[in-house]
Amino acid sequence: MVTEAKIVAIVDDDELMRGALQGLLKAVGMQAQTFASAEEFLKSGKHRQTACLIADIRMPGMSGLELQAKLNAERCCIPTIFITAHGDAKMRMQALRAGAAEFLTKPFDDEVLLENVRAAMES
Amino acid sequence: MSFPTNNKLTAAEIKRYALCYGLALASVAAAFVLARMFIYFHLPQPFTSFAMSAIAITFWYGGAAPGILAAVLSILIRTYLFQENISLLGRLGYSVAFIVFAFLMIGVRRRRSDLEVKVAGRTAELTRANEELSLEIAERKRAEDKVRLSEAYLAEAQKLTHTGSWVWEVGGKRALHLSEEWYRVYGFDPSDGLEAWRKRLERIHPNDRARRQETIDQAINNKSEYDVEYRIVLPDGAIKHVHSVGHPVLDGSGNLMQFVGSSTDITGRRLAEEALRQAQTDLAHISRVTTMGELTASLAHEVNQPIAAAMTDANTCLRWLNRDQPDVAEAREAASRVVKDATRAAEIISRTRLLFKKGTPQSELINMNDIIREMLVLMIGDMSRLSISVRIELADDLPEITGDRVQLQQVFMNLMANSIDAMKDADGTRELAINSQRGQNGQVMVTISDTGVGLPAQQADQIFNAFFTTKPNGTGMGLRISRSIIESHGGRLWASDHLPRGASFHLTLPIEAAPHE
Repeated sequence: MVTEAKIVAIVDDDELMRGALQGLLKAVGMQAQTFASAEEFLKSGKHRQTACLIADIRMPGMSGLELQAKLNAERCCIPTIFITAHGDAKMRMQALRAGAAEFLTKPFDDEVLLENVRAAMES
Repeated sequence: MSFPTNNKLTAAEIKRYALCYGLALASVAAAFVLARMFIYFHLPQPFTSFAMSAIAITFWYGGAAPGILAAVLSILIRTYLFQENISLLGRLGYSVAFIVFAFLMIGVRRRRSDLEVKVAGRTAELTRANEELSLEIAERKRAEDKVRLSEAYLAEAQKLTHTGSWVWEVGGKRALHLSEEWYRVYGFDPSDGLEAWRKRLERIHPNDRARRQETIDQAINNKSEYDVEYRIVLPDGAIKHVHSVGHPVLDGSGNLMQFVGSSTDITGRRLAEEALRQAQTDLAHISRVTTMGELTASLAHEVNQPIAAAMTDANTCLRWLNRDQPDVAEAREAASRVVKDATRAAEIISRTRLLFKKGTPQSELINMNDIIREMLVLMIGDMSRLSISVRIELADDLPEITGDRVQLQQVFMNLMANSIDAMKDADGTRELAINSQRGQNGQVMVTISDTGVGLPAQQADQIFNAFFTTKPNGTGMGLRISRSIIESHGGRLWASDHLPRGASFHLTLPIEAAPHE
């Protein structure tokens, strides 16, 4: 398992946002795979080799926090960076307590995001 | 049971007999006394004439039997008390004369009785005729009263409903009858007479004259009914709305003779309708603003999304350009994503602005699919927050309808907001399904279904009533307004249960719909 190449996964229902994140990572030389929903990500099986997860919180179907809980339950602890449009303090606490690496509110500082991604990849 | 018999005389009968026979005695006695007095004064001997008179009087007033008694008495008096010396033949002659006279009088008496019977008969007939006549007069008077009363009721009803009735002759172009209320509707005085009918044309609003005349001319040509609304301008400048209905009257050979009908002053109704429409527009605006207030949060989310993407894409673009060897191709790609993001943000904002706009209903050609998509863009934030999935089946060949875009957008926003509210606290699958299709008779049919709490049991149709709400903060106006908007477009809006769970709202809109004027 450890031998496989680690990837960055982006889970967001908004197509523009997925494209923007993927483009940003490409500019710093990182490959990312995008998924339109949490279900699609889980179904792909890629979560086993994901080194860093960038996820939206509000999505149709399974939310970002539910995805995190599900991954934790499977003992699949991926460093996760949440990006949301409506980040209240309560939601932020919940995410960080559950092990999230970072909780960013849109629009976010791309440097902060990239630092977190790099940190996750190196760990 | 026994009837009183004839041999039992009543007191009145005895009195009458006594009077009749007494008359015989008295009249003969009077003749005797008079004759004696004549003799005393040496006048010619007159007993015979007096006796005749006495017999005649007795017959006339007393009857046959007392008359005969008077004749017998006269014979006896004549025979024994006067001229005892005349011959037997002479006595007999007098007696025969009295008897013959008595018989004559019996005849006279009988004639008189016949005459009396006849007169009584005639009198009875006359009395009867008179009674019949009085009855007839009373009957006629009653009928007249009834007619008068009925006319008074009619006049009262006309006054209450502001309806004047009339009859006009097609050939002569003149009025044959105008009710009092008709004069009032047109602002004339009833004493102006039927001539007022001609003058009414001058009072018809110049803009309505041609249309009204055309309607009536058409009815004359087709010998058909007419139904027309127009305005009239009174001398003081006041404007009234009048609704006239005419019914053709044909003669035996089918020629159009007259129109009979009514003209109603519907100004009050028109003003009320205008006020209602105004209130509806205001309410629609308020409801729109209120709903928009609730939606502001999700709108912020909607706009925030493309802005965040734009910022990220712009930063990426800069990164490609800031390299030691700038990668223009990648930078261009990132920049074109910025354009896309900004376009999306602008789109959301322009649609939002449309919703806030308040104005008179506008008519334009609309594809309902566009409206559904536009509203989905606005509501998608709310739905994703509540983990509601959307299933859309839109017909490609949907015909366009004529209507007011903003009003129809509002209906959809309302229905979708209701569905979302209904699913907010529901367990299990949360799905909003929107389906558009070409319905029967050239209609567009749209159905919005949810898997929420469903319609209130036994109150399914009450949900469309004003102020009916099951939500703690609901105004109870949303569905009411939605229905009136759809109905003003000539369509229908109704609800049904959605199986296995939730509610469906269906609406139909005719392709040829003209929104209210």
